[in-house]
Amino acid sequence: MSLEKFVEDFEEAVEDVEPGSLTALTKYRELEAWDSLAVLTVIAMVDAEYDVRLKAEMLKANDTLEALYAQVCG
Amino acid sequence: MGFHFCVILCIVTLMAKSSFNHVQIGGVVTCVPPLEKCIDDELELFGGNAKQIARLKKTIGLDRRRVVESGTTAADLSETAAKRLLEQAGLTPDAVDALIFVTQTPDYAQPCNAAVLHGRLDLPKSCAALDVNLGCSGYVYGLWLAHMMVSSGGCERVLLLAGDTISRIVNPKDRAVAPLFGDGGSATLVQRSECASAAWFSLETDGKGFDKLIVPAGGQRAPSSTETQVEVTDEAGNIRCQENLFMDGAEIFNFSIVEEPKAVRELVEYAGLDMDAVDYFVFHQANRYILTNIAKRLKIDLAKVPMQTVERYGNQSSASIPSAMCGELHDTLRSADSTRVLLSGFGVGLSWASVILDIAELPVCEIIEYSSCN
Repeated sequence: MSLEKFVEDFEEAVEDVEPGSLTALTKYRELEAWDSLAVLTVIAMVDAEYDVRLKAEMLKANDTLEALYAQVCG
Repeated sequence: MGFHFCVILCIVTLMAKSSFNHVQIGGVVTCVPPLEKCIDDELELFGGNAKQIARLKKTIGLDRRRVVESGTTAADLSETAAKRLLEQAGLTPDAVDALIFVTQTPDYAQPCNAAVLHGRLDLPKSCAALDVNLGCSGYVYGLWLAHMMVSSGGCERVLLLAGDTISRIVNPKDRAVAPLFGDGGSATLVQRSECASAAWFSLETDGKGFDKLIVPAGGQRAPSSTETQVEVTDEAGNIRCQENLFMDGAEIFNFSIVEEPKAVRELVEYAGLDMDAVDYFVFHQANRYILTNIAKRLKIDLAKVPMQTVERYGNQSSASIPSAMCGELHDTLRSADSTRVLLSGFGVGLSWASVILDIAELPVCEIIEYSSCN
């Protein structure tokens, strides 16, 4: 489990994002592809890959992927 | 009502789990409206974003749905299904001892749909009739009640109707729900059986999540008014009023992928079976993404999980499980060989319920199309 792997998993979960285009500092909520469907697919990814139940509020409360990852690991 | 004290009845209960014997399903018919809508034709709803539609189709599995015209109700669809079911099963109305109608979209605030349909189906005065106000878990709750009514000795045969017209209570400008829901009505016979036929049920509720899937106004808590009909745009750009259905999609998704696998595992264990002993897992047809996620967590072969129904007809709420049985398992359930199915519904309440039962030789198991001439 690493931040780099989390960014890759996030890219895969949110379709319509170029692989390798996101970084730990990406503000994911500002992405064009960030919508209610992306919320679902990221929740499912975090549940399946990290065994963490991510609430929608947590996705709203964080801004960067690094911050989100810290919450997932928290 | 018929009383048969000579039949040995077996009811074993453990909290909200229970098992029954000598009760069987005697036929299922589902009725859908003829009007079909397709997400491809709704570019305007998605602000011209064809990419988003493509993602919804690919990931969530949204495609087509059947919706009623104004003036057609769940009672109409279910009445058509019931008439077909009784006819195909060779039964007259006086063979029905009780009528249960599961719906959240009844014709009237009062009286209940079951009473109205009791009259329209010409059922005898000796027939009990009641509604159950549940949605996506409602079909299994209805089966549970019917099993209890037959097992108690009070009824020989129960007619279970389950139907909804959720398309009428979503705001057509709300992308979060409008493309998801279709309409449907169903009729199922639950009757006494001389053969041993076990059924295991589990029923659960989390009322703390009541506001995750809700029509906030129009009842007694917040009566209909000009204020409750004012349309508001949320932060995602979806438009709805207080009298429309609201769904917190993320929380409902979380609820589904956490509670459903757990409930299924516990029920299989309660029945003393293992997962391989179940031939088909018929989940409430919420959407393909939820079903796939539940199946993955249970490590079930996807071939055992019907999920085409939601893509053909939309999420039909209380009618979705019988719709999947009729649309995807009709040949199997009509064959002489017994099929062990696990039916599981989850949704508004929050409420979820599952049953494992054996089905064989159904005289009828089909989907029919509604016509106002029926």
